[in-house]
Amino acid sequence: MAEGLPARRSRTRGARRRLLLPPQVVQARHRFVTATLVYLRLAAAAVRANMGQPLFLAVRTVAAGLIVVVEVTAVVLLLDRFGTIGGWRAPEVVLLFGLAFASQGLALALGNRLEADHLSLLVRKGTFDQVLTRPVSPLGWLVASYVDARYLGRLLAGVGAVAWAGDRAGVAWSAGTVALVALAVVSAAAVVFAVLLIAAAFTFVSVQGSEAGSMLVYGGTYLASYPMQIYGSALRLVFVWLVPVALAIYVPALVVLGRQGPPGLPAWLAWLTAPVSAAFLAVGGLAWRGGVRRYVGAGS
Amino acid sequence: MIEAVGLRKRFRTRRGPVEAVAGIGFRVEAGEFVGYAGPNGAGKSTTVKMMSGILLPSSGRIAVDGLVPYRERKRLARRIGVVFGQRSQLWWDLPLRESFDLIGHLYRIPAADRTARLARLVEVLGLGPLLAAPVRSLSLGQRMRAELAAAVLPAPRVLFLDEPTIGLDVEAKAAVRDFLRELNRVEGTTVILTTHDLDDIALLCSRLMIIDHGRLIYDGTVEALRTAYGTTRVLVVDLADPSATVTTGPEWAGAQVVRADGHRRWIRFAREGISAADLVALVLAEHEVLDLSIVEPEIEDVIRRIYRGEALPPGTVPPVTDTPPSQDR
Repeated sequence: MAEGLPARRSRTRGARRRLLLPPQVVQARHRFVTATLVYLRLAAAAVRANMGQPLFLAVRTVAAGLIVVVEVTAVVLLLDRFGTIGGWRAPEVVLLFGLAFASQGLALALGNRLEADHLSLLVRKGTFDQVLTRPVSPLGWLVASYVDARYLGRLLAGVGAVAWAGDRAGVAWSAGTVALVALAVVSAAAVVFAVLLIAAAFTFVSVQGSEAGSMLVYGGTYLASYPMQIYGSALRLVFVWLVPVALAIYVPALVVLGRQGPPGLPAWLAWLTAPVSAAFLAVGGLAWRGGVRRYVGAGS
Repeated sequence: MIEAVGLRKRFRTRRGPVEAVAGIGFRVEAGEFVGYAGPNGAGKSTTVKMMSGILLPSSGRIAVDGLVPYRERKRLARRIGVVFGQRSQLWWDLPLRESFDLIGHLYRIPAADRTARLARLVEVLGLGPLLAAPVRSLSLGQRMRAELAAAVLPAPRVLFLDEPTIGLDVEAKAAVRDFLRELNRVEGTTVILTTHDLDDIALLCSRLMIIDHGRLIYDGTVEALRTAYGTTRVLVVDLADPSATVTTGPEWAGAQVVRADGHRRWIRFAREGISAADLVALVLAEHEVLDLSIVEPEIEDVIRRIYRGEALPPGTVPPVTDTPPSQDR
């Protein structure tokens, strides 16, 4: 007698589970999906706009990649002369470089408008005000609308350097090591992006304050390109726990290369890479929100 | 639709605190077409920013379509349209059509509604041949029409316009004004038009608010203002003899010299009192004139006179309102 029975009974188990989700969750998920789609469309539009000058774009992307090649070559030549750095041979150091460049490229591809000169220009021209009149989060807009393909050149070159270095260093590429490299790149990119967010928050207060942010973005990743054992404990502490770019790059590299780190920096810390980077990204997000709130309160 | 009580905004500048908006209160009903005028630096854009949620008031209350702008910015953004005369909201390097597509997705306009509405807007504003062109290649007049279409596509309840006719030629201005008039009449969209253009106000606005030094110094109909001031014009004459005095007599019908500088005399006269031709004849009869021109009153001129306290129509100066100390925000 199917008539008097509620519809649920005749569905599959999966559907029953779905129906039991509270409406707020379903609504929130729907909102998240539509918002993400909007950002993807904005990013696609930004890419299409850049495609209008394909040759120019290609040149810039290749140039960005070449810069990485030049830097890596410089390191190799340096190590050729001096042998090792902190006991690490050339390919191992190049692996670090590759990870650093790749993560920097990823972070800047998304967050380039957060840099001080760009953001202050947007504020001065009134473009940021215009962004605030749109029914989207200003951060989402800034990231999606200004995706810069040329930084992807840096990302690709970095990954290429990692592949090259890994082969030379005798890394056995497996699903695990590849996943670790991906983890390292994404986590370090998250850290760099968080630094960009914090610097951007300071830009709302004064441009000078955010210069420190620039230093961290470029200086920090450069520092993380060398094995951490060459640095003193104070610097190590800062770049592993405070601005965890080294935790995201150096420690996973240890695991990939099958090395043991110096005392205080064991390889098993790689388990903490993702959560610590995520936490730092959350801090960045809070700083950004504070910055926007201050902007809205103080005007431009 | 819009309600402001005791709105204030204080900025901290290097020269000390500046009160850009000093206690403004007004009420705009749905469907009104309000002109918002005032000299540069008077506080117009600050007020508009507070109404659109971009700026937090220092004190006072503001509500737009029942929402508190700075608290519910995104929600309000879906219901309002903002057009900046000198800045573009469109995607510069992409064909115009794509800007409309993106706006449709941004404001979550259902596809069927969007297509129908866009078709109508394109027809009314003559955007058909422009849809495939990148926005950067459009002329100012074409771009302005496109910006209006883009701002109006999500069917906002309130439209904020900042100098939409600036720099446009006569034909483009007429097109924009016709469009806005129809929009307000047919769809009942509330329009807040910030402008320096007296014609914009005269042809479109049923109500005018004038702000100066952060205070609302006029809030009434355009008609009342015209009756009081709009009918005066100024005759500017360059006399051959810089030391000559222009004496007015009874036949000058109240025309008076308001300014003298070297050769030049500014003579203000009322339309109903004496015609320009007659006044010119009177001046030529007594003096040797090198050159002359007739100046129509600028809204800034009117504003300056209002601010100087010249007789205002009764009941049009709104009092400075303040909120009681226990106001929540």
